[in-house]
Amino acid sequence: MRVYRSGLTTLVLNLLVALCGLVLAFPLGWIVMMSLKGQADVMAWPPNFIFTPTFENFRVLFDFAQAGATSYGTIKVDFLTPITNSVVIALGSVLLSLVVGVPAGYVLARRDIPFKEDIAFFILGFRFAPVLLVVIPLFNIFQAIGLYDTYLGMIWVYQVVTLPMIVWLSRSYIEDIPKDIEEAAAIDGAKPVRIVLHIVLPLLKPGLIGASLLVFLLAWHNFALGLILTSTRAPVTVALLKLLNPGVQFYPVMAAGLVVTMIVPVVLIVVGQRHLERGLTFGAVK
Amino acid sequence: MEIRGSSVSVSAQPSKSLVAASRASTVRKGAERGIEWWSIAAVAPAVIILLGFLLLFFYGVYQSLTDLKLGRPLVRFIGFANYSALIDDDDFWNSVRVTLTYGVSAVLVQAVLGLSIAKLFASEVVLARLLRPVILLPLVLPPMSVALMWTTMMDPQRGILNYLLSLVGVAPFPWISDPATALVSLILIDVWTYTPFFALIIFAGLQGITDDIREAARVNGARGWATFLHIELPLVAPYILIAAVFRLIESFNQFDIVFGTTQGGPGNSTAALSVQAYITAFQNLNFGRGAAIMVANWLIVLAGAFLTVRLWQAVRRRVT
Repeated sequence: MRVYRSGLTTLVLNLLVALCGLVLAFPLGWIVMMSLKGQADVMAWPPNFIFTPTFENFRVLFDFAQAGATSYGTIKVDFLTPITNSVVIALGSVLLSLVVGVPAGYVLARRDIPFKEDIAFFILGFRFAPVLLVVIPLFNIFQAIGLYDTYLGMIWVYQVVTLPMIVWLSRSYIEDIPKDIEEAAAIDGAKPVRIVLHIVLPLLKPGLIGASLLVFLLAWHNFALGLILTSTRAPVTVALLKLLNPGVQFYPVMAAGLVVTMIVPVVLIVVGQRHLERGLTFGAVK
Repeated sequence: MEIRGSSVSVSAQPSKSLVAASRASTVRKGAERGIEWWSIAAVAPAVIILLGFLLLFFYGVYQSLTDLKLGRPLVRFIGFANYSALIDDDDFWNSVRVTLTYGVSAVLVQAVLGLSIAKLFASEVVLARLLRPVILLPLVLPPMSVALMWTTMMDPQRGILNYLLSLVGVAPFPWISDPATALVSLILIDVWTYTPFFALIIFAGLQGITDDIREAARVNGARGWATFLHIELPLVAPYILIAAVFRLIESFNQFDIVFGTTQGGPGNSTAALSVQAYITAFQNLNFGRGAAIMVANWLIVLAGAFLTVRLWQAVRRRVT
């Protein structure tokens, strides 16, 4: 599409792109390396780029039966519980948001109700909600009504992050579906509920899978809500911070923890890119 | 085909479709009367859940007008006392300064770098096409993981960044361990994480500029930089500004990156308003004061968003 470029310009452009890629990928590569290092390699100066990899750090993270007996001294880490917590909370939040949000998204895209645009604006406005200001009063309320440190409470609170996103995304995906299909079905005598269940929903599936992955990611990222409203049900982002505590010798274990929290989003994006692309190519008219 | 097939599957479950049909017919009657009750019922749960959060927000604003502290049985309404205490508090103004510096400089740097990266990847050289997925990388990682990752790299004694600096003969940099350099280091982390957000949005904007427009510019004698400055830049400016609106709001509210790296320190050199509010409410257990700081933070977010949205509207009107 562009005008012809000389060989030198192309080379320089490629080098610049490579530099960008390096800057973006290097920190991750470094952390992965660190998570695979033994203690001697971590302490080495200048830092080693070539070493014998070991899974000791990951063992310390997960093998809490023997976690006391490490070369780092006594570390008691239980990383499996926070991971379970994060998965339960994130999955629960996505499911609740789908059940509540998709019908709302459909109505906001297709139906006429009073104050429709105001409602849409109100829901989207939560994208910019000051989460801490909502959480400060919640802390007292949750302790009073027994929702503090429960999955149920966390899943409800996470709706402030996930629900507006699902409504917003499902609305835009529904607007992408040509109206003709629904109108044709209505002329054929199909009732509105049937149209939604058997025509709109199947067409919407790829988009919803893509949206769910994205929202799962947002829930997985969250830190502040778990920090304030949980203790034993803390998500993995909060557990990570605890690994930092007393200084340098814990870095490799924390690096292993970081790798675990980062693998999940990277895998989701690799799996999800296919769904996202499919979601963009509906092409179902006919 | 699709429609025919689905109606067959409906008639295979007679009881369900009967229920659906009867409910649907009431809906149609409702529609004739002008209000679709069924549609309202579909929106209601989402609105109710979010209204709950809105009430909590107002309750938080109310708390900022009380002397609520942990373990205090009697909560008194004290008007604007929390706010007047804040106005006389140097720490508060320090936090305002930190929040503004962090948000504005991070967004400015990200806009410039994002534009360059978008232009670079729009050149469609071989590596640009291969490495495009890498741009997404920082955005999919949890901000807390990003913060901790950079904390290990910025370690003044053993961090990899100081090693890399030593390779090119630069003296060790104190990064987040020194009050003078901590804020700059945090802005650097924010820039690494969110420049891709600008790049992706600006990239989409550049894709929207058709070859016709470029051709017309060329016919009119525009070359190289002139095309960029007078044709491309004005056309992508709305994209840059809408990205700026989103980022400005989030970086004024930034909590994870500050809390994961410095928790506001050393001293109070990086105590952004959100972190200061957290410390006040949950470490000093002064909930009323903490809520007041968050209200102040929210007002700054609102003002910043309002100004950038206005700018965006003005630019968009000029372009079209």
